[in-house]
Amino acid sequence: MSYAIETYDLTKIYKSEGRSVVAVDHLNLKVEKGSVFGLLGPNGAGKTTLIMMLTGLTLPTGGSAKVLGYDIIKESIQIRRKVGLLPDPFGFYDHLTAEQNLEYIAALNDIHKSERKKLIEDVLTTVGLYEVRNRKVGGFSRGMKQRLGIAQALLKNPELLIFDEPTAGLDPEGARAFRELVVKLSKEGKTVMLSTHLLFEVGPLCNSIGIMNRGRLIVQGKVRELIEKLMVEEGYKIRIKGKGDMQSLASAIMQLSDVNKVEREDDAVIVRAKRDVRAEISRLALSYGVEISTLQVEEPTLEDLFMRYYRMEGIEHA
Amino acid sequence: MPSTFTVALKEFSDIVKGRRFIILVVVFGLLLTVAIASVYLIVVQNIPGVAMPRGFLGRVAYTLVSMMSYFAPIIGLALGFDAISGEREKGTLKIVLAQPVYRDIVINGKFLAAFLAITLATSIASIVSIGGSILVLGVTPTTEEVARLALFVVFSILFAMTYYGIAILLSTISKRTTQSMIVGVVLWAIFSFVIPIIASLVAFTIRPIRFAQNITSPEERQRLIEEMRSRTAITETINSFTPNYHFSRIAQYILNVYAGIMIGSRTPANVRNVSIIESLTSAWPNILVLVLVTAITFIASYMVFMRQEIR
Repeated sequence: MSYAIETYDLTKIYKSEGRSVVAVDHLNLKVEKGSVFGLLGPNGAGKTTLIMMLTGLTLPTGGSAKVLGYDIIKESIQIRRKVGLLPDPFGFYDHLTAEQNLEYIAALNDIHKSERKKLIEDVLTTVGLYEVRNRKVGGFSRGMKQRLGIAQALLKNPELLIFDEPTAGLDPEGARAFRELVVKLSKEGKTVMLSTHLLFEVGPLCNSIGIMNRGRLIVQGKVRELIEKLMVEEGYKIRIKGKGDMQSLASAIMQLSDVNKVEREDDAVIVRAKRDVRAEISRLALSYGVEISTLQVEEPTLEDLFMRYYRMEGIEHA
Repeated sequence: MPSTFTVALKEFSDIVKGRRFIILVVVFGLLLTVAIASVYLIVVQNIPGVAMPRGFLGRVAYTLVSMMSYFAPIIGLALGFDAISGEREKGTLKIVLAQPVYRDIVINGKFLAAFLAITLATSIASIVSIGGSILVLGVTPTTEEVARLALFVVFSILFAMTYYGIAILLSTISKRTTQSMIVGVVLWAIFSFVIPIIASLVAFTIRPIRFAQNITSPEERQRLIEEMRSRTAITETINSFTPNYHFSRIAQYILNVYAGIMIGSRTPANVRNVSIIESLTSAWPNILVLVLVTAITFIASYMVFMRQEIR
């Protein structure tokens, strides 16, 4: 298995006014090449510090890490050559136009002058800013600046893209366009890391996630595997809808072995059980004369997964 | 690999197209014009009690030195106070450092751009004012005077770079631009006004002026001269802690001590002609101090910036 990001006991301690703050605490993370990885966690979890270390902008206090096979301390230049980063927060030169800002970024990436114009036009078109390329960035809205930030990250045609809070400031249309862009980048084989606390915006895009809290990685893995694990640990949630004596059916289901809870939710009956008891429910429905229209296992969502680990960590505000 | 010139080119373009730079150059040009006009009035009116300065330098040197003493620190501070802190506050530093650039390229590029911009501003201002002076006063400078003026411009650039070094250091260590600006202005005021005043106060406290009824005896006269020399030595020792003092000494040596001739002098001073090499030799320690202060402040900013956390 080849990894785009590997960290080994990566630690960062900030010292400020005589106090030590552990921003990242012995973090061991692996991000597969070609995956869309969601780095999730509340504000102050240490996500941004981790990103700053991975791109060589901040030195770690302990541990080590490799990005695309390069050491984050000794080979940070090679990393920044191949990694497109959208930091948070960030800014552009307000007195320059969108095109001029990208010209400068291209020059810093040593992109040859003959290639710059075409590349800049392409990325501006991708983020929907081509029409305003000659406008000064000072007059841009927050969302437009965010899109320009995404454009600068794409400019060097990177192997790995790290987006820190990518949908912050984007309107719904911009957020949708961003999600489409991530899907496109993923299809091109690029690795994408999305760091966010806004789970609903980018969560569905991720095929693997890591949840951070207080500098620690509390869980990581493929979304599918984590959800299955959660179903095993927290049980199955079965939704039943039908016509007939639903109240009697509910009481009968409660008597089945491995059923923990039966409750009403609007016009449906929700069963929580340790195993899949749909076959037994079908039989009971026949005997009680209930005509079933819906009998399905509801998988936990990414949000359920997130909330479960949040509850375990005692986080109040996600 | 992008070079220092990539950053310097962009920074230089930003500086010279910026409102701050243009305002400074225009204001300085206007002030110099007014100052030269006042010299012209003295020449035309031949004010009683004021000796006519000799030669071209004699007529413009004082104006140039006093104006440059204000202009050079102001342009140095104006270009440097937000060089790093401004980029940090706006978030542009993060975007720049997220690219494959070494940090030294960023700070070296800024320093080079500031040097070029200061050279441009000082040269434009000097050429315009010297050209204007030639036209207004009707006195053509000699070849030696032109060489001395050129050297004066070079050391004015060094003086401005000294203040730029101080400003970029403040900008690197300050969390906020307003903080580096305020500290920069306070330092300038201390160097320009507070220390010279303290120096005089200390000198006159240690060696007070004694009002003699009649100074007839040679011993008494000698003692008074010694006291005056002692006061000057104290004042200069204290003032030597400011870059302004060293610039003013350099200017005096380079412009051949013509500066000051118009102040209270009733007869043109009998100045011994010294060669440019002799002037440079005399000014050498002061030049060295300005070079050292510039280098030390820049190296300090460089070291701090290289180790700084980007958050």
